[in-house]
Amino acid sequence: MTKLAGTRDGVPLIDGIDKVTGRARYTADLDHRGAFVGRILRSPCSHAQILRVDVERARRLPGVVAILTGEDCRVPYGVLPIAMNEYPLARGKVRYRGEPVAAVAAIDAETAARALSLIEFEVRELPAYYEADQARAADAVRIHDDKPGNLEREVHHTFGDVAAGFATADLVREEVIDCAEVNHAQIEPHAALAEFDPSTGRLTMQSVSQVTFYLHMMLARCLEMDESRIRVIKPFVGGGFGARVEVLNFELVTAMLARAAGGKVSMELSREETFITHRARPQTRIRVKLGLGRDGRLRACECEVVQRGGAYAGYGVITILYAGSLLHGLYDLPAVKYDGYRVYANLPPCGAMRGHGSVDTRHAFEVLLDRMARELGLDPFEVRRRNLLHAPTRTLNELAINSYGLAECLDRVEAASGWRTRRGRLPRGKGLGMACSHYVSGAAKPIHWTGEPHAVVNVKVDWDGSVTAFTGAADIGQGSSTMVAIAVAETLGLPIEQVRVIAADSATTPKDNGAYSSRITFMVGNAAIDAARRLRRLLTEAAARRLERDPADIDCADGRFRSLSAAGREISFGEAVKAALVDQGTLTVKGTFTCPPDAQGGKHRGGAVGSTMGFSYAAQVVEVSVDEDTGRISVDRVWVALDCGFAINPLAVRGQIEGAVWMGMGQALMEETRYLDGMPAHASFLEYRMPTSLDSPPIDAQIVESIDPNGPFGAKEASEGALASFAPALVAAIADAIGVDLDVLPATPDRVLDAVVARRRRERLDALAGGGR
Amino acid sequence: MFESGPVPGKRLVRIRVNGRWREDAVADDQLLVDYLRETAGLTGTKTGCDGGECGACTVLVDDEPVPSCLTLAVRCEGRSVETIEGLGAGGRLHRLQRAFHEKLGAQCGYCTPGMIMAAEGLLRRRPDPSEAEIREALAGNLCRCTGYVKIVESVRAAVEAGA
Amino acid sequence: MTAPLPLPRVRVIRPATVEAAIAARAECPQHEVLAGGTDLLVNLRRGLLAPTVLIDITGIAELEEIRTTGDRTRIGALVRLARLAEDPAIASRHAALHAAAASVAAPGHRRLGTVGGNLCLQTRCIYFNQSAWWRAANGACLKSGGEVCHVAPEGERCHAAFSGDLAPALIALDAEIEIAGPGGRRRVACADLYHEEGRAHLRLAADELVTAIEVPASAARSGYLKERIRRSFDFPLAGVAIACRTEGGRLNALRISVTGTNSRPLLIDGTAALLGRRVDESVLTAAEKLVAKQVRPMRTTLFPANHRRSIAAALTRRLLGALAAPAAAEVGAPPTEAP
Repeated sequence: MTKLAGTRDGVPLIDGIDKVTGRARYTADLDHRGAFVGRILRSPCSHAQILRVDVERARRLPGVVAILTGEDCRVPYGVLPIAMNEYPLARGKVRYRGEPVAAVAAIDAETAARALSLIEFEVRELPAYYEADQARAADAVRIHDDKPGNLEREVHHTFGDVAAGFATADLVREEVIDCAEVNHAQIEPHAALAEFDPSTGRLTMQSVSQVTFYLHMMLARCLEMDESRIRVIKPFVGGGFGARVEVLNFELVTAMLARAAGGKVSMELSREETFITHRARPQTRIRVKLGLGRDGRLRACECEVVQRGGAYAGYGVITILYAGSLLHGLYDLPAVKYDGYRVYANLPPCGAMRGHGSVDTRHAFEVLLDRMARELGLDPFEVRRRNLLHAPTRTLNELAINSYGLAECLDRVEAASGWRTRRGRLPRGKGLGMACSHYVSGAAKPIHWTGEPHAVVNVKVDWDGSVTAFTGAADIGQGSSTMVAIAVAETLGLPIEQVRVIAADSATTPKDNGAYSSRITFMVGNAAIDAARRLRRLLTEAAARRLERDPADIDCADGRFRSLSAAGREISFGEAVKAALVDQGTLTVKGTFTCPPDAQGGKHRGGAVGSTMGFSYAAQVVEVSVDEDTGRISVDRVWVALDCGFAINPLAVRGQIEGAVWMGMGQALMEETRYLDGMPAHASFLEYRMPTSLDSPPIDAQIVESIDPNGPFGAKEASEGALASFAPALVAAIADAIGVDLDVLPATPDRVLDAVVARRRRERLDALAGGGR
Repeated sequence: MFESGPVPGKRLVRIRVNGRWREDAVADDQLLVDYLRETAGLTGTKTGCDGGECGACTVLVDDEPVPSCLTLAVRCEGRSVETIEGLGAGGRLHRLQRAFHEKLGAQCGYCTPGMIMAAEGLLRRRPDPSEAEIREALAGNLCRCTGYVKIVESVRAAVEAGA
Repeated sequence: MTAPLPLPRVRVIRPATVEAAIAARAECPQHEVLAGGTDLLVNLRRGLLAPTVLIDITGIAELEEIRTTGDRTRIGALVRLARLAEDPAIASRHAALHAAAASVAAPGHRRLGTVGGNLCLQTRCIYFNQSAWWRAANGACLKSGGEVCHVAPEGERCHAAFSGDLAPALIALDAEIEIAGPGGRRRVACADLYHEEGRAHLRLAADELVTAIEVPASAARSGYLKERIRRSFDFPLAGVAIACRTEGGRLNALRISVTGTNSRPLLIDGTAALLGRRVDESVLTAAEKLVAKQVRPMRTTLFPANHRRSIAAALTRRLLGALAAPAAAEVGAPPTEAP
């Protein structure tokens, strides 16, 4: 810990120089020599039976080397073993506009495009549903035959005595909050490069994946290939945020084209297609009801969530479970009833996005809590403080809370923002609001439960003294490989420059469950420390032999092995390695990490979702200016504090916090997907507006360290927990600024203007009523 | 008036790329970004959108940062084009590259080349810009990772590090 | 080449004179004029236009001049928007034009984009500015060769909205547009360059070319305010340009023009009724009402049309109020990089 404690500014990313010099190769930058060009034909219809996909004219076009339809896709896929209902290319039916129906590989892009235009696609259209309530209507046609009411999954969980809780509450209020669907909008468009060698029957796949293991597994499944014949390599990846956790249709299609063509196929999706591929946060309606005592204590919570999930299952079951499960774990809640409905609709499938499942529910909860505190005359900070948890504890739904830094987060942002002196004293049109949030540090129970450890890291040391860590964990810009390097270097007492990290290549690195649910720091970090400790033990023993001391007398630090009792008796790291290699040769050690079963959630159905070894906690204050004439909201400043347990790399932690807050701001202010009869009308960076540098405020990010008992060096996650508190803090700030309560996200000028008009109408009516008295 | 090159649909174009003159047969309809990535093999310049919406492809044309997806390659005849690969000399990092690396101005790194070239264009015109000027100069370059906080810090750090 | 959405196959010709460009326009049946390219190249990649020839006019040196002669400023059609935005003389003489130029899109677009290009900007609509797949799947609209306008299916016309920033400023400033054709050059008032028809909003013959603008010097104060969701790289929800003059505290000249709400930049009628009055609350309300009554935003954006109207009205009130205030600074100019 000494070294980590000594470098509290943190270190740059180990692959940062590649990124700033342009040397970093992303999928579209790989060696494409000899590659055929892959293109996908997409459905023009929202919901239809496929009568005919005739590719004969396209097949005869010179230069076309492979052509596929749903007929070539026999095996369905999906991220959840219980809900695989999607094919790489549609079979039987299409269920959303833009769904892939055929694919072509050709000698060049022009030929591929021409080939697509020659494919004849004939359908019988079916009624289509673009809103959850239409899809749930009694007479709605089923989008999937096995799902009556177009209900993918409903969840009903009750913990504690909810009725009694409301009965003892002094104030009970209910709100309905709507949150628009949003998208990850990572800047790198989707791309894949697949190479099939017909002579060996081997497939090499390079793609924009966050979870190469899922990709590997689904390739084997859908191509009906032996897993051992497939190699998956992750190049540099230009952001993910959840978009690339699930295996995506174009990845499978690219591989199938490569096999059909007997060669290399490159697939680059346009930005529009990247948006259509989607898998992001669904449009959500939340009805939330809270019971609060005059003392500010929460007595009961009731919450109903309806998510419009899109056309396929994807992650849907998990998302709707998270939305309820993570009502817990932030505050001390004595009674919670949750009803969740995940609904199919004829739109691109939703999936996991930063803060998976928790963001919109948290928004609604915090917004209502803020309004009720106001009604009771309680300060928003105070009402949170009266409901804090005390670690270690377990929530009603059996989530383990092992460390809890929320109280300190509250103190920090309250002080930094000048809340006590400024709140309520700003001029009209300016306001302050606050809110809290949390997130898991890795799902304690992986989706594909195999009994294996949750993470494995190999560390190799060789005659040259170099240390190489091998991890399957996908660095997608979050800095996970740097975290592994720090963990290994720190444990071995080496400078970080002496450790290389090889990541996410199935031929060389151990399997990893991938970059999702903020699991890497906690799980892979612990596995890396475990591996490095094992190596340190071997090297310590070898050094002890060389120094003729007992291993217990040897200390490993600063690149040297020293006798603790005999000053001056020491050898360098390199000498210790040479000593260890005698009789053994090159050393490779393995470290693992496993979440114990008691951390894996309750026994109720779906109880594993939300379970984790450690929650991060965040509080933030948002300052806004509101222009009542134009409806424009300006975010002037944000103060945020995040309890990440321990900041292994404070530089990266700050970067993650800032990014999460900002992404929350995008969703809160302006981002939304919009469909016109199922046509994506938002599928560009012009219509899908993420904030520019001119829309983005300074963010004061503070790190709180609660030192988690199980985290690597005490660390927890840092990249998701701060996202969900932005939007409710913004809505509270708007209320503070102009006395308007917004019930919809995003807070675009039109929605703000609508709320202002409604407030003025109310004021006029109040004035009239007052005048009559 | 009607120019035509030796190859049907293509013409020889001389462009100074990162300080070296090149001469390539270029199709009239080739975008500068495709010329750089495919003809010149300089894949540091990225594509993030379907045209003019993200700034990832920003390069310097005669010292001015412009989106290379909104520029025809044939239009660059006789002009100087600089990409991320042209910054820094002799294996040493340019001050913006060093600052973006050390201050974590790059997370996933995909917007980084365009962002750095936009910043370099600013610093050539305005050696000591204010934060507002930095934010304005980068307003056509989208980043999805950083919230721009560490990008602005990186540009400031580069200014302080001097040329 | 594997990148999606390449440009269609086109031949590029690069005339060196206005006359040669005019001749080329007459000769090539399927062509488009290429200047900065920020609008055209994107539209070509989406398949919104299908020319076989691009007439690249950026080699015509004459069109790059800014010339100030006595009472007018002549600005060539190829002058880049960034140059206008950075020119202190433009800022002091024609504040609305300066503010409008500085507010276009993002810095890179302003470096490439030209005065002529901004004036001749294609009209936009959420049903039109989409990929070829999108438009085919949705059914072509009037503007893309179909039978029906998806915005107003019962109507006969296309409602695609004009969103250029320079035109309203130039209309407010009473500028003229110089147009070259086979028979020589002509001038029209800026407002007369446009029709209220989204498919063909420019009153420009197939063989004509916008060559310059001429802005009269004036004692009027002017400004441009635009509202958009993002502060950069976003088309206006509405943009308002005003030029006004007061004498003894009373209005004696007032021109208001609005963009983003109609298929053309709109010169607001009826401002004469406000002349001779002090710019007080009642005048501001009257000006706001004039704008609210005359603009005709339709569902061409995802943003609701009624709010585009109310934003145009609110900007009018704000801008007129600011211009009439005793010490009006330049109104509406966002921060720009100094030259």
